[in-house]
Amino acid sequence: MHELTAVSRILEIVLHEAETAGATSVSVVSLVNGEWSTFDSDCIESYFRILAQGTPAGNARLAVETIPARYRCEDCGNVYAPSDGVFACPACPASKATLISGREFYIDSIEVEFADTDCEESPGRK
Amino acid sequence: MIRLRSSLQIPIVKKVLAANDLLAEELRSKFEQAGLFVVNLMGSPGAGKTSLLERTVDRLAGRCRVGVIEGDISTSLDADRIARHGAPVVQINTGGLCHLDAAMIHGALDGLDVSSLDILVIENVGNLVCPAQFDLGEARKVAVCSLPEGDDKVLKYPEIFSAVSAVVLNKLDLAGHLNFNITEFSRNLREMNANAVLTEVSCVTGTGVDRWVEWLLHTAAEEKSS
Repeated sequence: MHELTAVSRILEIVLHEAETAGATSVSVVSLVNGEWSTFDSDCIESYFRILAQGTPAGNARLAVETIPARYRCEDCGNVYAPSDGVFACPACPASKATLISGREFYIDSIEVEFADTDCEESPGRK
Repeated sequence: MIRLRSSLQIPIVKKVLAANDLLAEELRSKFEQAGLFVVNLMGSPGAGKTSLLERTVDRLAGRCRVGVIEGDISTSLDADRIARHGAPVVQINTGGLCHLDAAMIHGALDGLDVSSLDILVIENVGNLVCPAQFDLGEARKVAVCSLPEGDDKVLKYPEIFSAVSAVVLNKLDLAGHLNFNITEFSRNLREMNANAVLTEVSCVTGTGVDRWVEWLLHTAAEEKSS
């Protein structure tokens, strides 16, 4: 629901980092999105295409890594992903669990490019 | 001449909501310094969040000083209700936004003297999705759910029910009219969030409200001594 605001913020961070590095363009933006971050990856990609146009990140590929929601059973220590609305630990009968991953939402890294530079060929390479 | 094109990978590892989280941490420090226990109260529209707060304010009268921040898209109806029970209250109107964020709480504090309070409850906008993602600087997140919503809500909204320290199950007085399986609801919650304390209440009859208030006071005392 708040993907538009989130993408504006992502773009702000990405362009700032690229500019600080002295880069001319951004080729890849790596985003980590937890399954239960409440942010939809497809929606983020759509907004990113639109908002990045005309910026140094206009041709950037948005690589989204989804982190699945995982729980740890407080009884037996088993770590598992819930499936189809079943949150009970599959390894023990009387389970009680806590969420240990799946709420992440952060920019992991970006790949940037620098302006073409002309260099004299070294004599050794002739 | 040769033409070189260079590229570089820059690690960032920065939360997209970092600005909110930073402000929320500032708020948390401020609350801790003031000895104020802050609860972020979330739940569906109509779950009974405001009704629970009215009961809570009444029960805490003379025992501890409680203030309220009300979050709604529009109107001051909820703040007016709380004010009638004698607690200091500030209404935030989000103007369409479906959750509160740290900046809104920061602004609302202009209308509250935090040094004169022991407990502050922030009633979030009625919504079971987005409020879970925005840190308000609270010490605890609590969800209110009610019987007419159905006993499958824990399974359908795992983001919020996995994040809370307590769940208040309201409208117990309607149990005889609805097919709500409390045992099933309780089991689903425990399986998903072992640490969430479930309290069954009726804000109409008052059943269970004392147990909720005791949890609030006990957790506030525990937080202050930690």
